[in-house]
Amino acid sequence: PRSPLLSPSVPYDTAFNPQLEELSQENKDQAVIRSKHEIEENCKTQSQQTTLPLPSQLDTGLALNSSSGSSSHSHLHPADGNSAQPSPEKPHSLPLASITPMTPMAPISECSGIVPQLQNIVSTVNLACKLDLKKIALHAKNAEYNPKRFAAVIMRIREPRTTALIFSSGKMVCTGAKSEEQSRLAARKYARVVQKLGFPARFLDFTIQNMVASCDVRFPISLEGLVLTHQQFSSYEPELFPGLIYRMVKPRIVLLIFVSGKVVLTGAKKRSDIYEAFENIYPILKGFKKA
Amino acid sequence: MSGGGRCPDCGSAELVEDSHYSQNQLVCSDCGCVVTEGVLTTTFSDEGNLREVTYSRSTGENEQVSRSQQRGLRRVRDLCRVLQLPPTFEDTAVAYYQQAHQLAGIRTARLQKKEVLAGCCVLITCRQRNWPLTMGTICTLLYADLDVFSGTYMQIVKLLGLDVPSLCLVDLVKTYCSSFKLFEASPSVPAKYVEDKEKMLSRTLQLVELADETWLVTGRHPLPVITAATFLAWQSLRPSDRLTCSLARFCKLANVDLPYPASSRLQELLAVLLRMAEQLPWLQVLKLDKRSVVKHIGDLLQHRHMLVRKAFRDGTAEMDGQGQGQGLGDGDVGSSSLELPAGKRPASPALLLPPCMLKPPKRVCPIPPVSTVTGDEDISDSEIEQYLRTPQEIRDFQKAQAARQAAQSVPNPT
Repeated sequence: PRSPLLSPSVPYDTAFNPQLEELSQENKDQAVIRSKHEIEENCKTQSQQTTLPLPSQLDTGLALNSSSGSSSHSHLHPADGNSAQPSPEKPHSLPLASITPMTPMAPISECSGIVPQLQNIVSTVNLACKLDLKKIALHAKNAEYNPKRFAAVIMRIREPRTTALIFSSGKMVCTGAKSEEQSRLAARKYARVVQKLGFPARFLDFTIQNMVASCDVRFPISLEGLVLTHQQFSSYEPELFPGLIYRMVKPRIVLLIFVSGKVVLTGAKKRSDIYEAFENIYPILKGFKKA
Repeated sequence: MSGGGRCPDCGSAELVEDSHYSQNQLVCSDCGCVVTEGVLTTTFSDEGNLREVTYSRSTGENEQVSRSQQRGLRRVRDLCRVLQLPPTFEDTAVAYYQQAHQLAGIRTARLQKKEVLAGCCVLITCRQRNWPLTMGTICTLLYADLDVFSGTYMQIVKLLGLDVPSLCLVDLVKTYCSSFKLFEASPSVPAKYVEDKEKMLSRTLQLVELADETWLVTGRHPLPVITAATFLAWQSLRPSDRLTCSLARFCKLANVDLPYPASSRLQELLAVLLRMAEQLPWLQVLKLDKRSVVKHIGDLLQHRHMLVRKAFRDGTAEMDGQGQGQGLGDGDVGSSSLELPAGKRPASPALLLPPCMLKPPKRVCPIPPVSTVTGDEDISDSEIEQYLRTPQEIRDFQKAQAARQAAQSVPNPT
């Protein structure tokens, strides 16, 4: 039912993304172009602008990995020809030469095939002008201001669905977006609202402060076992919280791991940190599948 | 006697250095004439070494034990004595408290936190020596909130870099079960409810072990599981007389608090036992339910390892092959026991998964569509204006606010 990957209408880069056959035709072209960017940016350390086009639950055993510099992960490097030979110095890279669209991939132990979904992005921006919060609360419909409770205006917009805390110093915190770009767009919209209210608002130092993602490994995890072997990173107190708190050192991410196999990752400033952290934890969790 | 000086008045050589309060004076011991005197007042720079140093900048804090620290240490010792801990525990707990008190964040913390800190140190000591002390017990002793306790506990473990092992379930079972007042007859405990301690302990341990194997313990508070297991053990040792007794009544009899999740744990444990019973041929024909299975717990526990293996297929392996229509409906507890023709064949194995994975999801989270937002799109004026009030709306809003203020400021008619 799906068109072969190596058809002439599809650029050659899709040879590296066999799981694209899972996508519908409409998404495929978009995904192909974006995955090209993905591969190009693989070499950069910052990958703030890329979005993974894949749905979260994939069981094909592969993942588009945007983390760079980690040699244990399968690297997708842009090759010149359609048939790329697996490089001998990277024993764990995908056997790219043997890809045909319809045959399932041989499972590779490192690749999880699961992509964590971003749930929340917290960002800050400096509007660089003093603000009259009372005036903002009076003139804006979507603002609430209760100085006795909190010293900032709480403003909300519908698209992207986000909330902002606007302080009288001109600093603003934007929360609730599901991607970095959405967070930036939302912050710009808030700045525009403030501008329209008559303040000389600018848009300085937009920074992503925190990213939260979640995913499901689909098998139960023995938390007692995990805390025994990884006790220097884990904290599991069932009397206080049902999940295990895993503080990964590299990248510096905190993971909440639950017995149902659901994992929450937080503390990231870049999307690649989240993906890298998940790829690091997945083999560890697989080791604790059986009780 | 100072050398070389003579009193100007009487000419005596007996000059004594004496201080009149803080003023140095050279005085003639014969006639009392003051020959020379020091300066009573000194300048600020003169006083360099004589100036008083504030306590916080002195080393006194490190040399002395501050009053709040003394109070805290006394609290730690009292806690250890109340809990009847071995004497070595007290020293370790005291050492932890002193260590914690060195940290700036703790020294300047509120008294409430320092109180709770005493409990944390005792708890950490007990955990490291495998003494089964629950956080609930400490919080009750300290009259502290579990939230406050948990915050301080996590903070101190992190700051001191301590390795705190998990609560030892077996020891907890032994201590907790021994606290049940069911081992001797009393006015509140009739003879038919009295049970032998050893028998009850061993059976409870087996049930808790069974719960652990079947994913009922991971991620949950350990105590309610043990309460449920103790109840089942007690019931099963004399089912004819005790089946009529409910869990709540049992805890009241035994003079033990009933933790809220215990009834839910009880149901889960009974469901597991029922599944196991379906694998025993002589129990299959009886078509057991949650009440009648209690009578056979002894048998089920005797063969529990084999029965668990037969009654449950590996949930983890099953997850990989999910979506292939392999009778996932079997995961539904109790359904197969109704559908089975009696004695024909044992029920097909159920998935061995934690209860949270067996329940259907409360709400299906839709996967958000792929976002094509770049963050640099144009923002139309109309979109922004939808969030702004028109001048008329502003006037109306201000009027409404003023009216509300006026209404609030009117004194209430008494």
